[in-house]
Amino acid sequence: MSNRVSHQEIVRKLLETKSIDFNAIGKTVAEIGPSVALADEPWDMFCGTMRTFLRLYILNPGIPGGGVENLGGLRNVAQELER
Amino acid sequence: MNTSRARWDARDLVRRLCHALIVARQVVDQLAPDGYADSEQPSNSLRPEKAISETALLLLAAESAAGQYPEVHTHVERVAQRLIPHARSERIKLALCMEPALALDYAHAHICLARLGYPDTDFDILLQQSVQAQAATGRERPPHRMLEQSWSADLWSGPGTTCRRSAGALARWSQLNLPMDLLNGHREDIYAFTHALIYCSRFNLQPLRLPRPRHLILAEAEGALARCLDDQDYDLAGELLLAWPLTGKSWSPAATFGFRVLAQVEDAAGFLPAPITRLDRLHRLQGRERQNYLLATSYHTVYVMGLLCAAALLPGRAPPIHISATGAVRGASSRIMARLDAHGAAVHWRDEFDKMEHPRQDAIAGLLLDIAMHRAVRQRDFAGLHTLLQIGYASHLADSPVASQVAEMLGRVATCHRVRPVQSAATESAAQAC
Repeated sequence: MSNRVSHQEIVRKLLETKSIDFNAIGKTVAEIGPSVALADEPWDMFCGTMRTFLRLYILNPGIPGGGVENLGGLRNVAQELER
Repeated sequence: MNTSRARWDARDLVRRLCHALIVARQVVDQLAPDGYADSEQPSNSLRPEKAISETALLLLAAESAAGQYPEVHTHVERVAQRLIPHARSERIKLALCMEPALALDYAHAHICLARLGYPDTDFDILLQQSVQAQAATGRERPPHRMLEQSWSADLWSGPGTTCRRSAGALARWSQLNLPMDLLNGHREDIYAFTHALIYCSRFNLQPLRLPRPRHLILAEAEGALARCLDDQDYDLAGELLLAWPLTGKSWSPAATFGFRVLAQVEDAAGFLPAPITRLDRLHRLQGRERQNYLLATSYHTVYVMGLLCAAALLPGRAPPIHISATGAVRGASSRIMARLDAHGAAVHWRDEFDKMEHPRQDAIAGLLLDIAMHRAVRQRDFAGLHTLLQIGYASHLADSPVASQVAEMLGRVATCHRVRPVQSAATESAAQAC
């Protein structure tokens, strides 16, 4: 079985846990939004906090796919690359 | 003949390069028309322009470095003929009309083909209009991508079209002239280094001057190579190994070892594999879908091996057959291997290492130390890092970019501990180590 999970799948599972309180996030944005929008440099803050409320960062994802497959198994399909 | 200085058999390098060119023919036939769309794993999807452009680069490198070998030349000709209609397709021409800021990117394959002796004047006229458009400068690029543009322009119109002085300045802004983050850098950061190197060295076609002394660049490459070999990331490992043949004739023991590992893996698997090729997925597919999946997920690493062998076929640039044991510290490798064996999983490089005599194992003790430190950084094993630095210092192996970056990092962690004494197992352990 593949050990890979798609990003969409991670996000879906995270949302299903209900661990993110969107009401609380919305309340916070509603409280600080007006003052941030009027701050000295509102543009950066506007883009950074108003447009993207929640972002899942991938911290150094490493190599894609996990690890290289069994070399003997790959050997069995290598010929298919040439025809 | 002095066997310690004997070079890798050119016939074997030619064989490996020809394998990449055979795969390239399949890539052109199967992927150049429409690319590859993977609905199950979208990151595997491939734009046709990428496959076309990378194939052209492989052809140019193969012909420039090894065109004197008849079998290489024959394969290059065969693939080039098939590539021409895709490199100059209506889609590419329309892209030149609509996106002049990407003109040299879209035209890269055409430029390589023209350089190989397949010109097209009408295409050149359109490209000329595109690069002269006001919007041609409308894309901001990082330095290594600017170096790529500079190389493409020189390939197209001949050296001197772009000012070599400004190209040299670009090289000084690139990762080639700046220390990499060898401990926590991303794969993209290593790509920035390897691509800057390729566009600077230009497969020996009017190369630019390196922005730093060769030995400093190679020391960085070696630090990153340790991580890639241990991760079995052969795409990046192969690109890093290009640093040796593209910049000079000597190969370090670590680089020679790296080449041997890649050759051994290629022989065992029948091609140099990438981790994104998954056998379970492949076995669920059939026919054209199966072939395209296999090609799309593996062609790039196959090409990297081809590029590496092409570069190694430049005069005097082949790796040595044997790893030189000159200067090796006796017993150094066994001290580090004791720690690696205690924590490590089975990796391909270990098979190659076990075949070597002890003095040659000691010759790559610096690489082993880098691998051990990479693993310890990943595990946040700060005390272990401190011990490794001590081992390295005692064995005269600590004069490396990885070791000095580890020392700096431990210093930062110790400062962090002093200024903000929040106790945790990791920081406590680090502070004690420092």
